[in-house]
Amino acid sequence: MKNVKQNNYASRFGRSLWEVKELPIILYVAVMIIVFSFVIPGFFSIKNFENISRQITTIGIVSLGMTLVILTGGIDLSVGAILSFAINIGGQGIILGWPMWIVYPFMLMLGFILGWINGFLTTRIAVPALIITLGTMNIYRGTIMVITKGKYITPIPTAYDFIGGGYIPFIIFAIVLVLFIFITLRTKFGRNLYAIGGGEVSSLYSGVPVRKYKMVVYIVSGILSALAGMILVGKSGFIQPQAGLNYDLNAIAAVVIGGTSIFGGSGSILGTFLGAILMGLILAGLTMLAINPYWQGLITGFLIIFAISIDSIRQMRR
Amino acid sequence: MVTVRNVSKSFPGVKALDDVSMTIKTGEVHGLVGENGAGKSTLIKILSGIYSDYDGEIFIDNSIIEFSSVHDAQRNGVATIFQELTTIPELTVAENMFLGREPMKFAGILDFDRMKEISLKTLSFLDADIDPSVIVGKLSIANQQIVEICKALVLNSKIIIMDEPTSSLTEHEIKGLFPLINRLQEKGITILYVSHKIDEIFEICDTISVFRDGKHVGTKDKNNTNSNEIISMMVGRSLDMLFPERESNKKNLVLSVKNISKEDEFENVSFDLYEGEILGFAGLIGAGRTEMAKAIFGASRIDSGQVELYEKSKHFNHPQQALSNGIAYLSEDRKGEGLMLNLSVRENISVSNLKKIAKRFFINKKYEKEIVNFYSNKFKIKMVHIDQIVESLSGGNQQKVIISRLLMTESRVFIFDEPTRGIDVGAKYEIYKIMDDLTQEGKGIIFISSELPEVLGISDRIMCMLEGKLIKIFNKDEANPEKVMRVLTGGEAT
Repeated sequence: MKNVKQNNYASRFGRSLWEVKELPIILYVAVMIIVFSFVIPGFFSIKNFENISRQITTIGIVSLGMTLVILTGGIDLSVGAILSFAINIGGQGIILGWPMWIVYPFMLMLGFILGWINGFLTTRIAVPALIITLGTMNIYRGTIMVITKGKYITPIPTAYDFIGGGYIPFIIFAIVLVLFIFITLRTKFGRNLYAIGGGEVSSLYSGVPVRKYKMVVYIVSGILSALAGMILVGKSGFIQPQAGLNYDLNAIAAVVIGGTSIFGGSGSILGTFLGAILMGLILAGLTMLAINPYWQGLITGFLIIFAISIDSIRQMRR
Repeated sequence: MVTVRNVSKSFPGVKALDDVSMTIKTGEVHGLVGENGAGKSTLIKILSGIYSDYDGEIFIDNSIIEFSSVHDAQRNGVATIFQELTTIPELTVAENMFLGREPMKFAGILDFDRMKEISLKTLSFLDADIDPSVIVGKLSIANQQIVEICKALVLNSKIIIMDEPTSSLTEHEIKGLFPLINRLQEKGITILYVSHKIDEIFEICDTISVFRDGKHVGTKDKNNTNSNEIISMMVGRSLDMLFPERESNKKNLVLSVKNISKEDEFENVSFDLYEGEILGFAGLIGAGRTEMAKAIFGASRIDSGQVELYEKSKHFNHPQQALSNGIAYLSEDRKGEGLMLNLSVRENISVSNLKKIAKRFFINKKYEKEIVNFYSNKFKIKMVHIDQIVESLSGGNQQKVIISRLLMTESRVFIFDEPTRGIDVGAKYEIYKIMDDLTQEGKGIIFISSELPEVLGISDRIMCMLEGKLIKIFNKDEANPEKVMRVLTGGEAT
């Protein structure tokens, strides 16, 4: 009798393990760490992991915002452009000699405004977010070039280095991460994001304030992009008009590799976090192996296809 | 002749077909009925080549067949017209008919003349007034279905399987489909006709086979049976009563609609809904009932007029406001406007009630589970566990999920828009029962349905809508199907 019960528990455990949505991505991360640790001396070291975490913070923060957008069935191609806009246009304040306590909120405010524009357009015009944000991306990037005339902002006062130094970026990332995990799993707002992605009209008729919440996710995505930009400035010590290039596609890659459905409705913040880690691991591993970094793109591409295939197999099994 | 011998098919945990043996005679219209999950769609999928692994044997005219794909089945003379039409809206009627087997001239150039000639011939055989060069997307659903039938004819099909062909047709269009089926029959084509609607089965079929729980319960000649017998074979119990016995429980006025209008949709509609009342809205498709319901629910705007709740004027700009004022709406479009298909049963039920489930800021998962379990037990929702994806449930169970969600909101007014569409007899009865229970609790129900028997069977009053206008109100005791239908089709001016 007892045995039967235990068996039951075992199979239930097996089943629930299979149902852990992040399972594939956890496995990839584990496999990558094991493989690189054997192949590369010095890979399995605190120093290296510290490096990797430091590298993934900015793209990680952007990916977290992107996850919320994608969960609702949307997409935001303009995150890299918003990042750049916030620091370049906000950076004009530095040139004008504004104090940091005005420049920082100003940068975040720019992220807010550009995110708001994305949200406003996607909820008012019956055109997919892909097209809207493709448009706004070009507008934002174009505006940067018009205003900065392509000039770098340098030097930056050393006070701005603080946010990019030591553990600060990772602490910021960790705070946003934990906050978002709780929001998506345990709050009405978070649950409703999944509902919107699962069926927009159905959610509307279930009393979900669809338009409002969609506005919110684009705004959050915008603010987080600006925040990532501020960290980037702190790390590099200068501001370049081309900042944040490819952040959009890399963030989407991290989200998708992390198991979030591109159609919305399923996925997780934790998955995205692991997706970002995986991409960081690969980049670090390839760099340490002295393999041409161009390989990274190739491997990321395979990973996306692989992750999506696994996801569709799991969908079928359900 | 199609002979099915000892066919079984299993899915993990379910025996979808259990040792089925039956015969379909050449040239007959053979009806296939059964509740959802009875196995009829599994059988169709085997016959049409979608499922190729099953136990047992299938013979067509004494030679054994094993289709490997839908294409393979079509090549062997079995064509299926699925519920979800497979026509391509962007292509023309003729192109659709020849899709995948276009006649060619040399060097792979399409032979448009031949396509046009054959398609015209096929269309005229069916007496269909459709231009072969028009884009299919511009046709009505009924005409798209005719294109599908033409496709089957072009293939020289000997057997045509029709899966719920009338489910998205209007009464009028259904009347047009039947002569067409007779035409096919005259040509010697065998038809396997799958439907939920017993009346239809009796009208068009020669022979009726009943399925229940994966088993073939029996096959009856139409002339030797009646609908009561067929229904009791389907549900395994006698259903003398298709509707629960209802006693009127009319109390206070709850909802009062005054002269609401919306351009091109409905005009000057006024009615009162009382607590404990089921107000049936009868009408043909396009009579403006759904549009009116959505406007009351705040999903679309009203041009003029007023909605009063407990004699207070209300104006809802968003369904959220309607819900928080105690008006809930169940859409006719279960998949598109009711369910979050890739979310779990649990999430689908709790979505409208997260505020209640949340303690301060955080959702109380334990409480959520309890309350979702309460409703799923109450309505006997068939599922493996509450975290199952809702898409994998049967139609009736999906509908119960949405009803659970709405009931949890503790609304005072429920608008049920075609709540029994596409679900089986047993589940229909359960939904009528739920509606009856709600009225006993003093809720008011607006019940929109295009199936006249159920509107007459369960409503206290019947509102007849025609072309956006409310043209007549019957009390339950003064209505009968003939009278109501005459009004609905415009045969009787007020």
